[in-house]
Amino acid sequence: MLEYRAYEEIERYLNGQMTAEEKAGFEALVRTDARLAEQVREHRELLATMKGLGERRQLRQKLHLIHEEMEREQLPATPNGWRVFWNRHKQTIAVAASVSLLSVFGTLWSVQEMKEPVQQQTARYVELRREVERLKKAQTALINGINDAAKPAPRPATFSGTGFAISPEGYVVTSSHVVESADSIMIENKAGLKYKVSEIYRDEIHDLSILKVADENFQTFGKLPYTFKGAECDLGERVFTLGYPREDIVFGEGSLSSSSGFEGDTTAYQISIPLNPGNSGGPLLDDKGNLVGVISGKQAGQEGAAFAIKSAYLLQIIDELSLTAQVNSLTIPKNNTLSSQTRPQQLKKLKDFVFVVKVYN
Amino acid sequence: MKKSLYETDEAVIEGIRRSDERALAHLYKLYFPMISHFILSNSGTDDEAKDIYQEGVIVFYEKIRDNSLELTCQIKTYLYSVCRRLWLKRLAEKGRYATRLDESEGFVPVEEDTQRHEEQEKQFGVMGEALEQLGEPCRSLLEDYYIRMQNMQDITDKFGYTNTDTAKNQKYKCLQRLKKIFFATYKPEV
Repeated sequence: MLEYRAYEEIERYLNGQMTAEEKAGFEALVRTDARLAEQVREHRELLATMKGLGERRQLRQKLHLIHEEMEREQLPATPNGWRVFWNRHKQTIAVAASVSLLSVFGTLWSVQEMKEPVQQQTARYVELRREVERLKKAQTALINGINDAAKPAPRPATFSGTGFAISPEGYVVTSSHVVESADSIMIENKAGLKYKVSEIYRDEIHDLSILKVADENFQTFGKLPYTFKGAECDLGERVFTLGYPREDIVFGEGSLSSSSGFEGDTTAYQISIPLNPGNSGGPLLDDKGNLVGVISGKQAGQEGAAFAIKSAYLLQIIDELSLTAQVNSLTIPKNNTLSSQTRPQQLKKLKDFVFVVKVYN
Repeated sequence: MKKSLYETDEAVIEGIRRSDERALAHLYKLYFPMISHFILSNSGTDDEAKDIYQEGVIVFYEKIRDNSLELTCQIKTYLYSVCRRLWLKRLAEKGRYATRLDESEGFVPVEEDTQRHEEQEKQFGVMGEALEQLGEPCRSLLEDYYIRMQNMQDITDKFGYTNTDTAKNQKYKCLQRLKKIFFATYKPEV
């Protein structure tokens, strides 16, 4: 009960409800009684804190109301999610946007800049493709000739290949797929000499055909500068060919890269000469100017793999041909006049004996 | 009309001293966008902006009411400085120091004010918790008497005590308990 009374007194003192006398007495008491002084201090702090808390709560409530009122007033203007997002990321967005704009216009500009050369390239490209399309047909024929000789190669109305003389009496050899299903065959060399020829023998297994000039007034091709090599050639030997993949004669050089041909065909060589359709039937000669093979085809979709029938089989055919009655004067050249000459000189001599074979059907 | 009334800082301060709620509301609405923008552009949310701004306004408001504010700058600058200080503190508590604060606007040193405010907040927090712990009817009784300043007779009627003495006795007991709880938890940082 004493404590209770003391509380009353303290509160009255703090609230200033004491009379002057009482106050003086109380203060005197506080000065002497340390415990009372502490109690007064604590009580004062407690009440002040409580009061402060009350005021703070009230103020908060007030501010809260003001805030709500403000939000109501400017509802449309309140920053929404997008606005916040924008405010936060506008720098990044700006950078991203400028980069993309830059790249878009940069691309447009550079495309514009490059339009001229690109157009030129396109023209060349189209040309090339046209050629490729033509090649495709001819190439199929080449492969067909190797794979399945019985199957007639699809051919345009006029087809061309290469052939070369095997004897001065007017005998010419070419690939049999070149002259397949031909109505009439013409040969023509670089010098412009043109002959009508007929097929007198064909060996479809080795893809070889022997043609003979059908002109009664024909005399001779002249002395052949090359000889035929009966033995097998060695790997890595330098070889070259002449042919008519286009209107003019084309020289191609490479080396003998394998002693077997397409899919292990031992009757052919693999050679690394870039060849095109039209080269079929062309002569394959070694460095010394010996005939070592007859160009027959190349592998589609593979770089640098072309094939040539070995000359041994050509000789075999010539032998067979000699046995038949209709061929009486086939003399195989015995002298090689190319062996010690440089390549251009060899070619000069050779080119008159290499013919473009034109097939009409 | 309303705006022209509180056009100057002096008018606003005068209004707050007179307990003019419109002055406070005007002040509040005037600078909220600025602080909101500041908080939002420094990795804060809308709610945090509101929170910090209200703290800032409370600091300012109470200093005006105490007559302890010697304003050497605009209200705007003062509020900005206080809120910036509070927000820095909040960010530090969240463990995000890395944020580069937007220092485009000037600010005045308000370290003392915010520290005093935080001390008070802490004190009030402890008091609030102590009152909660007290439970009913003690809490309401003390709040009615000491915070809402109701007289003893009203309280006696409200709580159904037989007479004011019983109420006073009850209040005394409650206060005694509150005192114990409060001083057990609250240690002022001196």
